[in-house]
Amino acid sequence: MQQIFNFLIKYRNLLLYLFLMVIAVTFTIQSHDYHRSTTIHSTGKITGGILSTRNGVYDYFDLINHNKKLSEENASLRMRLLEIGDTLLGKETTLTFTDSIPYNIFPARVIKNDFYKSDNYITIDIGANQGIQPDMGVISTSGIVGVTDRSNEKFSRVISILNSQISLNAQIKGTSTIGSLKWDGYDPYVMSLEDVPRLAQVKKGDTIITGKQSTLFPSDILIGEVQDAKLVENGSRYKITVRLFNDMTDLDHIYVIKNRDQKAIQEIDTLGTNE
Amino acid sequence: MNKDLLTNIVRFIGLLFFQIFLFDQINFLGFINPMVYLLFIILYPIENKRWDIMLISFLLGIILDTFQDTGGAHAAACVTLAFTRPIWLRLVYGESYKMKNIKVLKTSMDRLLLLLLFCIIVHHVIFFSLVIFNGSQILYTLKLTLSIGAATLVVNCIILALFKSRVKS
Repeated sequence: MQQIFNFLIKYRNLLLYLFLMVIAVTFTIQSHDYHRSTTIHSTGKITGGILSTRNGVYDYFDLINHNKKLSEENASLRMRLLEIGDTLLGKETTLTFTDSIPYNIFPARVIKNDFYKSDNYITIDIGANQGIQPDMGVISTSGIVGVTDRSNEKFSRVISILNSQISLNAQIKGTSTIGSLKWDGYDPYVMSLEDVPRLAQVKKGDTIITGKQSTLFPSDILIGEVQDAKLVENGSRYKITVRLFNDMTDLDHIYVIKNRDQKAIQEIDTLGTNE
Repeated sequence: MNKDLLTNIVRFIGLLFFQIFLFDQINFLGFINPMVYLLFIILYPIENKRWDIMLISFLLGIILDTFQDTGGAHAAACVTLAFTRPIWLRLVYGESYKMKNIKVLKTSMDRLLLLLLFCIIVHHVIFFSLVIFNGSQILYTLKLTLSIGAATLVVNCIILALFKSRVKS
């Protein structure tokens, strides 16, 4: 007994160090795991509040840029509305936002963004009070941004597409070729489209959009353009390098998309496996 | 004694504040954000007992982790820095650093620079290997460690130089 106490007292610093280190490394491993509830995250009340204060301060330095982007988006939306408006009767242009569209869109702002790590997360300023749940798609004006991960009443965390755990269904525009979109962990402007069949017709400059299989995003949302395509796995599949349209290092106004039919589609999709 | 405690509380909160509000937003060349908060651990009064600095460092690290979504990488790096600090102190100030009852901030600038260099290397290597957490990306980890480490060294030197001139007068 005496010896045990002696041992504990002699090595107390080392033991404390190892104890704290084990806790820290456990948190780290948790944070690299997709869909594991992490203990340490930036959506807490205090952390979220401070981060949004910080964002409020820095916003003033970038107002001109934000306004320009928003007005550009307004213009392009207005043009599309005019296109649709022609086919509608009379003045009831609001008809375009009725039940026939199975998506709800929530505007939000980024209060924290990362892009240099291998698993990046974004914190946004809306949460469960506004109807945000896990697994909702997030887009910006020029392309996809990520998928919501967890939220409290006021803030939510988004898994950025710049995260090694994420894999999204994507498609080459104009064809029915699909593949899975992943990030290699180096360049925040480039992702890669994997598992594309060898027979697919792909050329430099082709546009990549979200696929119809995705339940997170509506189809035909822009992602990026083909920069390079090479055959891998003994020439059986393409690995396509995609340059993103979205500047992931400069995000501010984003939109969270709620798919009304997501649950229904997933239920049908998993029917076979439940039997 | 009380004055020491007060200085440390001010340093703890002040460095955290500047880290989160200023230095995390610099994004020099797109990704370089110097880390000033580890000055707290380096400047912490030298004592025989080590458990208090280790616990405080852990707390400091975990607070930053919640802001940056890094899991426990800051905490691990800080605790390691706190645990190994006596080794670096001995290397820089010699075997008898404990007897001399020195205050890190009042020592000469070249010694401080050396101490800073050792501490930043230990901290950044652990931090970035945990953040990247991928053996196949060693080169990228090294790139981050070196570039951000250099930025941290420069910025911390400037801050130390500013505070040193105040301490002497």
